[in-house]
Amino acid sequence: MPSPLLVAELASAAELRERLPESLRWVRRARPALGTIVEISVNDPRRERQLHTAIDAAFASIERVHDLMSYQAPDSTLSHLNRDAVRGAQQVDPYTYAVFAAALQMAASSSGAFDPCIAPRLEEWGLLPRAEVPVDPAGNWRDVELLPGHRIRYARAVRVDLGGIAKGYAVDLAVRNLQESGIENIIVNAGGDLRVVGSHTHSVRLRHPLAPLHSAHTLTVCNTALATSADYFSRRASASGAVSALVNPRNRKPYLGGRSVSVRAENCMSADALTKVVMFAPTAIAETVLTDYKARAFVI
Amino acid sequence: MTKYGASRIMFLPLAATAICAPAQALVYMSVEQAQQVMYSGRSLAAMPLALTADQVAAIERESGVKVYTGSLRAWQVDDGGYFFVDAVIGKHDLITYAVALTAEGRVRQIEILEYREAYGGEVRNAHWRAQFSGRQHGDQVRIGRDIQNISGATLSCEHVTDGIRRLLATYAIAIAGR
Repeated sequence: MPSPLLVAELASAAELRERLPESLRWVRRARPALGTIVEISVNDPRRERQLHTAIDAAFASIERVHDLMSYQAPDSTLSHLNRDAVRGAQQVDPYTYAVFAAALQMAASSSGAFDPCIAPRLEEWGLLPRAEVPVDPAGNWRDVELLPGHRIRYARAVRVDLGGIAKGYAVDLAVRNLQESGIENIIVNAGGDLRVVGSHTHSVRLRHPLAPLHSAHTLTVCNTALATSADYFSRRASASGAVSALVNPRNRKPYLGGRSVSVRAENCMSADALTKVVMFAPTAIAETVLTDYKARAFVI
Repeated sequence: MTKYGASRIMFLPLAATAICAPAQALVYMSVEQAQQVMYSGRSLAAMPLALTADQVAAIERESGVKVYTGSLRAWQVDDGGYFFVDAVIGKHDLITYAVALTAEGRVRQIEILEYREAYGGEVRNAHWRAQFSGRQHGDQVRIGRDIQNISGATLSCEHVTDGIRRLLATYAIAIAGR
């Protein structure tokens, strides 16, 4: 047997980090979460071990969002709502309630160009697991009622999928968590939906929509959020023909336009949802909603 | 700074010269760093793990995921748990990750160590993969380098999930039963 390796005695990368100029001292980690790979990067003068502890806590907050709002997990709060909220109001935690409120606000201000009730389509196309509970095909976001005391009721048998907004919310929550730990420079990137905080300016490369392993553009960002939607990774053949994970709520058809829409906004939850508004709303509505959210869109 | 017109929607032209490759090649942690972050102060002993043909067949049957011999490395931790490093190949990415299991065989922590993208053909090409194999030992970890950020449609981590299922099957078949 090889001799045991005492981890604490290893020549540590921490020492290497201490010798670098301050602007280069980033600690960067990644974990699978929210169905994608989530990266957390921090830059701060404190010791590396403290930064890792703060990153652990930030990942825990992301995993919490996943556990509450996963469409796939049968025991998530969202799955519980999708089964029972049509039979009567259900009380939920403040996190889930906040994301529902933001989703419905986005749906209302975009006249339904963003709609969290398109999941049955994704089930049909094999992009989400099929639920056993019957669904009303005419149901939409208007059938979701937010009641006082963090209670939610469905007026019709709809199925809510927070996939178009919860990733952004998880990013914001992780950022808040790190800020509360006193960390100044932060980047959280959930598979392309990201937020940067601090005095540093960062360049973000946007994937080329026709050759997504290459970048087509670089944007410079500072203290902002940026999210992108496109069909290149989710496009596939199904029994209903070519489909993607992006559903146009107006005609319930898949987006196969081959464009990439990035939105820069104050927080990642809004940026995430606004990409769908820009993709599916008439231009005049999209412009108004972007103005309301102090956001900008970049289309490739 | 970019100048904007009245519109909040900006169409970015596709300039062929702006295309550069590859999109991503990231090293987050070396194996040793992952061990430090997950098991500070504990001692880890490398554990040889030679799978028999029967075990490989059983792991593939149980997890539904193909086993590539040689990609998995295992350590036993002095708290009774296990630390693994493994790699998965997706449609166009190669991901190396570390998994900490408790003494009872439950997942305690997962960390991505390296993430590399290339076109489908390349990631399945042994020569392309070989150029990174030495990096797994942490000698070339590019800590502190300028941060690379990418925004794009969300990538699925489905094959990492598959890899973890394969690892749990490997644990159940080749380690827990010892």
